[in-house]
Amino acid sequence: MSEKRIREHPVLDFQRKDGFFFDFEGKQVLAYPGETIASALYAQGLQRFTESKLLKRPRGFFCAIGKCSSCIMRVNGVPHVRTCITPAREGMKVERHGAMPEFPDTTLPCPKVKEENIEVAVIGGGPAGLSAAIVAAENGADVHLFDENTNLGGQLVKQTHQFFGRYEEHAGTRGTDIGKDLAKRAEEAGVNIHTNSTVLGYYHKNKIAVDAGNRLEIYGCEGIVYATGAVENFLAFENNDLPGIYGAGGVQTLMNEYGVIPGDRVLMVGAGNVGLIVSYQLLQAGVDVVEVVEAMPTIGGYQVHASKLRRAGVPISTGHTVKKALGNEQVEGAVLHELDENWEPVTGTERTVECDIICIAVGLKPDNHFLRLAGCKMKYVRELGGMVPLRTETLETSVEGLFVAGDSAGIEEATVAILEGELTGAAVTEKIKGGSEKLLAVKKRARAGIEEMRKGPYGQRPLEGVRACTFEGVCPE
Amino acid sequence: MTVTESARAVIIGGGVNGTGIAYHLAKRGYTDVVVLEKGYLGCGASGRNGGGIRQQFSTKENIILAMESTRMFEKLPDELDTEIEFEQGGYLVLAFTDEEVEQFKKNVKLQNDLGLKSSFISAEEAREIVPELNISKVLAGTFNSTDGTIYPFPVIYGYARAARGMGVDIREHTTVTDIVTQGRTIRAVKTDRGTIETDTVVNAAGGWSAGIARMAGVELPNRPYRHEIMVTEPFKRFLEPMVISFQHGIYFSQSRHGNVVGGIGNPHEEQGINQRSSLWFMRTMAKTLTELVPRFSAVNMIRQWAGLYDTTPDAQPILGEVPEVERFFQVNGFSGHGFMVSPVVDKVTAELILGETPSMNIDGLSVTRFKGMDLEMEYSVVG
Repeated sequence: MSEKRIREHPVLDFQRKDGFFFDFEGKQVLAYPGETIASALYAQGLQRFTESKLLKRPRGFFCAIGKCSSCIMRVNGVPHVRTCITPAREGMKVERHGAMPEFPDTTLPCPKVKEENIEVAVIGGGPAGLSAAIVAAENGADVHLFDENTNLGGQLVKQTHQFFGRYEEHAGTRGTDIGKDLAKRAEEAGVNIHTNSTVLGYYHKNKIAVDAGNRLEIYGCEGIVYATGAVENFLAFENNDLPGIYGAGGVQTLMNEYGVIPGDRVLMVGAGNVGLIVSYQLLQAGVDVVEVVEAMPTIGGYQVHASKLRRAGVPISTGHTVKKALGNEQVEGAVLHELDENWEPVTGTERTVECDIICIAVGLKPDNHFLRLAGCKMKYVRELGGMVPLRTETLETSVEGLFVAGDSAGIEEATVAILEGELTGAAVTEKIKGGSEKLLAVKKRARAGIEEMRKGPYGQRPLEGVRACTFEGVCPE
Repeated sequence: MTVTESARAVIIGGGVNGTGIAYHLAKRGYTDVVVLEKGYLGCGASGRNGGGIRQQFSTKENIILAMESTRMFEKLPDELDTEIEFEQGGYLVLAFTDEEVEQFKKNVKLQNDLGLKSSFISAEEAREIVPELNISKVLAGTFNSTDGTIYPFPVIYGYARAARGMGVDIREHTTVTDIVTQGRTIRAVKTDRGTIETDTVVNAAGGWSAGIARMAGVELPNRPYRHEIMVTEPFKRFLEPMVISFQHGIYFSQSRHGNVVGGIGNPHEEQGINQRSSLWFMRTMAKTLTELVPRFSAVNMIRQWAGLYDTTPDAQPILGEVPEVERFFQVNGFSGHGFMVSPVVDKVTAELILGETPSMNIDGLSVTRFKGMDLEMEYSVVG
């Protein structure tokens, strides 16, 4: 197993001190504070995290943010632990158990239960959630923010590129810095921050249950802002479950948050902004990007990102996609082919590329399970990436007191997520504590900002989508 | 646009009974049938239950119904050419009170007299069947090895596919809004998508049955109550039988896919149509399951959901015609054990619709039994 930790990086500085060891199937594995079990194992070269249920095919991690369960293992006797979001601890005992572990022979103590009534619960500590929490707390609300990760910032923590968008929303600043800045401001505003806390579910009426490790916490909330973002789409092709085929977000997390490179030669699938940006970040981390393929006839992302790649000598092939992945235990290459105007493969265009990583960047879909559990009226809106909640102008759902901000309500980008966060933060505070000049101003500014963003070349699609799921007064059936 | 059509029979409810009755009718050549379902097939209790197939009941009617139904379920995969995941790992029923011990002895005696090979067992024997069980408070138990669990959806979709193949019209996302009668005769069923003229209606609407009956001016004593259920992460097979306790109102079993599926009843549940998930259930289920099998403490619940029991005063179903309206057949009031007796119920109901003498006498389950008679309670109700 070869060490994959990044030592030098043009943007990021990975400080690794006070390393420690944990036990992985009888071997001692090195980890540093802040690393997860999965990132430490991957740094040592582990590819096979679990296996499929019936055919026992090898499975690597995919999403790296606790959504896909491709990395579950037994930790200290407890099966089905998501190792990608579980911090590594000295001396812990980790082992793989495949898709169907033995029934555990451990018993855990009954968790303590804490019940409390609060004003505002914000679920998700990314750009939308943090922004909502800051506005609500700055305007006098008692705010609790929950996130299942160790670090706040959501997907911002891994975005090393400088943002576009509007000046006030941090254009020109790197995503990592925006995330840190928002987290700091939330703390300063007096937000009660609960990290490593998984919200288990919504219960009538506006109650949430939270798994805080060894404690079950139950909060009765006057208002809820839901902002858990999105999950990555996948792509169907032969052998698409091999270790080495990961979501672009997963690769970004591994590389930019934990300082671990995914492999040596990457094939990027998708030339939207995510595909282009992550390709460039791979180059920055010293990884070779062999090619970017895009099924669409044109590049979807900003030209400026595409040009950077071209200057670095990375070919971008539009009208191309992956036919199949090669390899048995892990990716060894891929077969590509060209698509015609009807998306049909063109015979005779097949060619093989050598790579050890296939990175999938084919879009996102809203993370909406909680909203469905809460009984929010939902609608399929293609322009927004899937099932989304119907919302009012102030982003309240059909369930009174439950607001949604950011990608959970439709896929856009981080600037809109921040603005939607501010809008919901103001609206929920207004609902609970009554209106004020200041709140009105925040709402007005946020709405103007969102409107302006959607006027841009990439705003047309979401704008149409949002129109299809905005209601006034009583929510339609 | 309002369309008026006609059918020989309209079946209200696309659950296991609605689709099953349509299948049995079609098999007999009676295919001019419309099944109406307001959601998708199996979206009610048929698709929300724990899949338990139990023959260990306390009344003669239910034991006979369940025994014959189990035999029919055994043959169903061949008949429908579909895999229904029928795992006959038995039902282990636990007794926690002296009253339960006495009742269970009576139950087993009656069951044995009717030909069911159930047995009364000690707490230690219960632990031999399920070694993970905490038997510190268990007094005794009963076990019957031919009970088991089924995955409900393939049964429902198997019936629907076969019925459609023979010409039955099964319509999803169609809500019944009224039943038109003239005197004691049914004239038509109105829906949100048009009117269907018919003189024969089957009320197999589960928790919504009393409301449907009211549309025809018929008052049924059954009432809907929410019951909740959950599923855990999957594990290698470790739990053969379905384990139940009437005392706790709990049941749990392991599906073929490895997940443990189970539920617990809330004695304070309020009557009404409510399919929301509750915090009470999540906490009580976790606590009780962990008391009975402490090793569940290291296991996550991954989903919870709820469905409706259509509950009658004696916890027995309402079958057959009603006095007020002709050819208005009731197939409801199953009080939480409808799926397991559905094969016989569906066959017999089809026979009644065809005007034949039913192959099993179900007179005792007519709605008229609630008029001033002494009721025979079914005690073996769980969840």
